[in-house]
Amino acid sequence: MLELHALTKAFGQNTAVMSLDLRLREGQIMGLIGPNGSGKTTVFNLVSGFLTPTRGRIYFQGRDITGLPPHKIARLGLARTFQLTAVFREFTVLENVILCCHLHSGTNLWQQFLRDRKTRRKEKSVEYKAMGLLEWMGLKELAFDRAGDLPHGHVAGLGIANALAAEPRLILLDEPVGGMNPTETEETMERIRRVRDNGISVFLVEHDMRAVLSTCDEVTCINFGNKIAEGPPRAVCEHPEVIEAYLGGEVEECYL
Amino acid sequence: MEFIGQTILNGLMTSSFYALIAVGLTLVFGVMHIVNFAHGEFYMIGAYTVWVLYAKMHWPFFLAVLAALIIVGLLGFLSEHLIFRHAKGNVLSGFIMAVGLVFVLQTAVVKIWGVGKMKPVPAAYPQLLDFGGISTSWQRFIVIPVTILLLGALWFFLDRFRLGRALRASALNPEAAALQGISVKKSASTALLIGSALAGAAGALMAPIMSVHPYMGHAVIWTAFVVIIVGGAGNIKGTVLASLLFGFLTTIITTLLDSTIANLVNVLVMLVVLAIRPQGLTGHAEH
Amino acid sequence: MQNISYRQAFFIGVFPIIAVSAPFTLSGYKVDLLTNLLINIMLVSSFRLITTTGGWSLAHIPMMGCGAYASALFTGALGVPFLISLPLSGLTAGLIGALIGYPLARTKGFAFFVASFAAGEAIRLSWMRFKVPFGGHSGLMVPIPDLFESVSWLDFSTAVPYYFLTLLVTLICLAVLYRLDRSRIGNTLKAIESHEDLTRSVGINRTKYKVIAFSVGSFFAGIAGVVLAHRLWAIEPHQFGFTTTLYLLVWVVFGGSHTFSGPIYGVVSLTLLAEVLRPLAEWVPMIFGAIIILTLIFLPDGLESLPGKIRPYLWKGKERREPPPPAEETRPGPMAAPESSER
Repeated sequence: MLELHALTKAFGQNTAVMSLDLRLREGQIMGLIGPNGSGKTTVFNLVSGFLTPTRGRIYFQGRDITGLPPHKIARLGLARTFQLTAVFREFTVLENVILCCHLHSGTNLWQQFLRDRKTRRKEKSVEYKAMGLLEWMGLKELAFDRAGDLPHGHVAGLGIANALAAEPRLILLDEPVGGMNPTETEETMERIRRVRDNGISVFLVEHDMRAVLSTCDEVTCINFGNKIAEGPPRAVCEHPEVIEAYLGGEVEECYL
Repeated sequence: MEFIGQTILNGLMTSSFYALIAVGLTLVFGVMHIVNFAHGEFYMIGAYTVWVLYAKMHWPFFLAVLAALIIVGLLGFLSEHLIFRHAKGNVLSGFIMAVGLVFVLQTAVVKIWGVGKMKPVPAAYPQLLDFGGISTSWQRFIVIPVTILLLGALWFFLDRFRLGRALRASALNPEAAALQGISVKKSASTALLIGSALAGAAGALMAPIMSVHPYMGHAVIWTAFVVIIVGGAGNIKGTVLASLLFGFLTTIITTLLDSTIANLVNVLVMLVVLAIRPQGLTGHAEH
Repeated sequence: MQNISYRQAFFIGVFPIIAVSAPFTLSGYKVDLLTNLLINIMLVSSFRLITTTGGWSLAHIPMMGCGAYASALFTGALGVPFLISLPLSGLTAGLIGALIGYPLARTKGFAFFVASFAAGEAIRLSWMRFKVPFGGHSGLMVPIPDLFESVSWLDFSTAVPYYFLTLLVTLICLAVLYRLDRSRIGNTLKAIESHEDLTRSVGINRTKYKVIAFSVGSFFAGIAGVVLAHRLWAIEPHQFGFTTTLYLLVWVVFGGSHTFSGPIYGVVSLTLLAEVLRPLAEWVPMIFGAIIILTLIFLPDGLESLPGKIRPYLWKGKERREPPPPAEETRPGPMAAPESSER
């Protein structure tokens, strides 16, 4: 599904990601862990097209997507969320998702102006689809609330709904449970599992070890832009280098 | 041969003039992240100061120029305090506020001294400067040494004085600077004071050459923008380099063709630079 | 069908009465003023479309000029009838807008400002420099519009008929712009300003949409230019210079640009003010300057935000079961209608 070959990104003297190799299989939930500043978000930005690699290549479903702009990558079936702010604050929850259905709801200037019966029907079906997605994420009751006013947990949920609206084959989640309490975390991880069960592969970055361990099929750990371990979650967690990397930075314990 | 020498001299004079104005503008942008669109009006008021003090009240020219520096500098300081402070680094707000200031200043000058025919200012140093067939008046020539002097002083200030270094720190990273105990507000006031003073000096020096009228700022401001964009807004070295570039470009084209085309070329050069390298020749790439 | 608020009732009922009767009760000069106001309303509304993607274009007035010059050339040199020249010139402006909008779309903030100014200025300098075909500094003559041969009693060289022509054009333009604003495309444009990276990551080509906004905005600016040109019977480059742009900016900032009608409030109120202050005409720029500075300091979102600020004071102490009817939505009404029957 996703392959990174010798992916490298340097900002001047500073190498954020160094020759990273990674393979994500279809139907998998892959976790990317590592202490703060290890380059996880950079990897995401590279894969989703917001940054261009200095070296190396990225393959998505067998296609070389290195250097493509984000909207083209989205069109190929790869969507992402953003840490903390994956929503359009001024719009309502429903409008947010409708906006993100853009890819698969094809419309043009003329139609929007005329709003004839065919267009109206199409807009209605987009609205249905968006509502369905909200229901699935448990946000239906909040459909007409302003996204910017939502509590944090719901903002994150909406972010995922927004990404799903683009009907991706692979979804990149940037700290999906950041700042959530254990109940919300479990709910969100459950939904992520359901996303995978619906046939969408998941690549996520996360600090919360419990969430990672309980949900991911496979985990890769990086530090200072280098991969230091990969494999099933438990194995990675017990890897000496991984433990050292974390003890050196924040203190995260490995729950078993 | 003389033609080349003359062109070089003219080019240097134009470049100095551009540099004097553009550096002030770029300094303000670097520290405050707003574009002082009223910069041209500060230039205009510098010119009017010389007209009033030197042409009408017969002060010595030098003194009038100095007075222009001080008065316009103070005007800049006041503007920051009363007006631009509230823009909070928002470029658009700052721009519109400056637009308001432009209206206010222009109208004030029109009401006090009237609009209509441009008011000539007698040259203070009308003697010809002549060597090797290249000639100009001293009046025009002094823009070069004065610019070098003022920019040199600015560099010295930014490098050796605490307040100057504080300015540079605020420009580079306002948050870090604030954490270090640097008053970003004070840096902003100082930047606008110095920037405006430079514009006032440019106006003062140009008064005898160009005559004064309330809308003379307009022609100047856009060239200044072109220069700082190409040089890299906020980057003084780049701005100086760009001043040289455009000074010579404008001189050559005006000599060979005409000034409207020179303007057009300047504008097109800027568009090309923006398309290829939006941060200007020496600016840092934005992410 | 949503409940119509008092404000909407006002506009639907009172405004047309005023708009239609006013010209018959006013002097020719004042009718021309109204015509100009309508032209400026088209200007600010089309400008606002461009600002919804986050860009404040300083090339808007030169785009208006493009429409004016195009029509002058179509109707003058080429003998094209007015009714064809109007949309054609608008299209010309729209096309030029698309051409310069594309490189402009790749710039942001301050760079966009200056680049848009430069593009507009380059166009204006070409008008000034090239006597053929633009007439150079002295500009061009523009023929009086000849609409329908049969309607010979309507003389479009006089103020009142021209006013009604302008009114019709303005209403059509506003209707189109409003529809566009409320549609999903309008929302997409605003989404680009709201969170550009998010739009990119869901497959929206932001460059394409920015160019669309810019060229549609330029189209309507061009239309405004045509209407202006055929009233003045002559155009020259200085009319489309930077001073006009400055006034445009002042109107839009004063009225606010977050809602569709904000800029309209701005231009109407300031035009009225300028008219009231006619005895003090020389002070008007200074007054406007002071107003805009004060607005930015004390009411940065413009006039349109005033009701929102006052409302809490009016409703203090009153029990409300639902929020007050929103003044002007920036989001599509039908899409988020709480009363839709399916739920």
